Amino acid sequence: MIVIIVMLAAFPKLGVPDAWILYILLFFVYLAMANMWNLLCGYSGLISLCQPAFIGIAGYTLVLLVWVGVPFYVAIIAGGIVAGAFAVLISIPVFRLRGIYFAIGTLVVPEALRILFLLWRPVGGKLHGGGAGYMLRGMSGVSVAHYYWMACIVGIGSFFLMRLILRSKLGLGLAAIRENDRSAASSGLNVFRLKLYSFVISGFVTGIAGAVFYLYQGYIEPGAAFTIQWTMIPILATVIGGISTEEGPIIGTVVVVFLDFLLARYAGISMFIQGAILVGIMLLAPQGIMEIGKQIRTYFSWLR
Amino acid sequence: MASEVLIDLLNTVVMGILLGGLYALIALGLSLVFGVMKMINVAHGDLILLGTYFAYGMMTHLGVDPILSLIAGIPLLFVIGFGIQKYLMSRAMGRSMEAPLLIAFGISLMLQNLQQILWTPMSKGLTTSYALESFGLGGINLPLAYLFDFIAAVIVMFLLSQFLNRTYLGKAITGAAQDRTAAQLMGINTGRVYAFAFAISMATAAFAGVFLGLTFPFTPQSGTSFLIIAFGVVIVGGLGSMIGTFLGGIVLGVAQTLGGYFLGPTSQMLVVYCLVLLVLALRPQGLFGR
Repeated sequence: MIVIIVMLAAFPKLGVPDAWILYILLFFVYLAMANMWNLLCGYSGLISLCQPAFIGIAGYTLVLLVWVGVPFYVAIIAGGIVAGAFAVLISIPVFRLRGIYFAIGTLVVPEALRILFLLWRPVGGKLHGGGAGYMLRGMSGVSVAHYYWMACIVGIGSFFLMRLILRSKLGLGLAAIRENDRSAASSGLNVFRLKLYSFVISGFVTGIAGAVFYLYQGYIEPGAAFTIQWTMIPILATVIGGISTEEGPIIGTVVVVFLDFLLARYAGISMFIQGAILVGIMLLAPQGIMEIGKQIRTYFSWLR
Repeated sequence: MASEVLIDLLNTVVMGILLGGLYALIALGLSLVFGVMKMINVAHGDLILLGTYFAYGMMTHLGVDPILSLIAGIPLLFVIGFGIQKYLMSRAMGRSMEAPLLIAFGISLMLQNLQQILWTPMSKGLTTSYALESFGLGGINLPLAYLFDFIAAVIVMFLLSQFLNRTYLGKAITGAAQDRTAAQLMGINTGRVYAFAFAISMATAAFAGVFLGLTFPFTPQSGTSFLIIAFGVVIVGGLGSMIGTFLGGIVLGVAQTLGGYFLGPTSQMLVVYCLVLLVLALRPQGLFGR
């Protein structure tokens, strides 16, 4: 495990091709997002469709803070904090909803933000076409390797954070709520607060991952920042790998990034293929690759 | 001067009410599927758009009038809806809450991409001779398409309520919505009933699609905003009642036109979204819910 991490961290120094570095960077960013969606949907029973809101908000915080001269590492953390604070803010309306209602309530949020940012331009003069599109400024001294290491930290960090959460009191509480929220509440768990914690943590880490992504991207605009694509990637990664499992998102993210790589040449139909995979997995192997692996192991267990 | 402002305002409100009819029409299918199967069909917006693009294809390639093309469009979406429920959703329904949602999400992505390939990402519109006309009514001026929307909504809602109250299948759908187990014990094949409910929801989507295309320009990405409008209507109106859906549509329609009147056309949808979030925060059961 440690060997793998050290190897991954050393990649830029070993002269690994840049294209590879970028795909691994994407892998770590997506991994953090997938882990956080898994925390919400797989462990807290919150089907959140507002992850783009966290990503976009954190991305904008990053770009705006760097714009006014704040160092970028501070801006990344600030992006996460603003995204977490935003999670608290939107929890007021959406936490009154349960299950499916919650899902659609959260779907409204990124759409509203997209329109808001299309209308409003926080700093700087008017851009042609209107709306808030910004280049990231003053990042000339930072190399791809730096972004890469930051993505490594976020991705690997999110995995260990998940382990920590699931073994803590919060994780146990969430597990109890997932199994039966009424009995959890009647044994003295504050269901609302535990769910809020996991929502805010998810917002914070997703925001940081989003900020790192926009640091690498170097450009942000509302249409792309609040796109449904940002909802799809974590869902796809978690569902393919195996929802409610710790390792599932890792496997799923590998598949998603590999698909990205394969489908880069067929950009026109990539969304169709991803949608078809999502439907197929849900129908044929709803527990994802992890479950298939488990079944194969059971099947061959007579060999041992 | 004051009377001019008043007439302008009246014009805006009446437009909003007529537009509300269209919104109710959009939300009707979503509300039906939700009421019967307790499932939110997140692909509803894209399936409506499928109806719009079908009418567009009929119009541009065969020269068929969009409203007339419904004769083919309704059965097409009916069959698609039946198939989706029978072969995809029914397998996932009992399993978990998120499984049907994710399948619908996958369908929505596929449709978006398909429409993009078939019709390019450019903005299109069902431009007919009457879509651009307007008519005067006691000093106020309204686009004819909006009136059509409203009339279509009233007709479809009337037909649907008659169907649900009078026919055997309609009563079976209502029964399965109220209590699945009890309905099964009464000898109702709920799986079949669900498939028909989804199919009927898609038939209303075909209607909604055509009238939407007559009223607004659309792109392959419009599905998401239609879905949000439909969900907003359902939220504001409260679930389960057709009257609630109708009133919810009108509230959103008026909110949008008034927002456009006071804040400018670019921010009118923002007003609608904020209203939805506000209603969620203050009255989650909807303005007209129990």
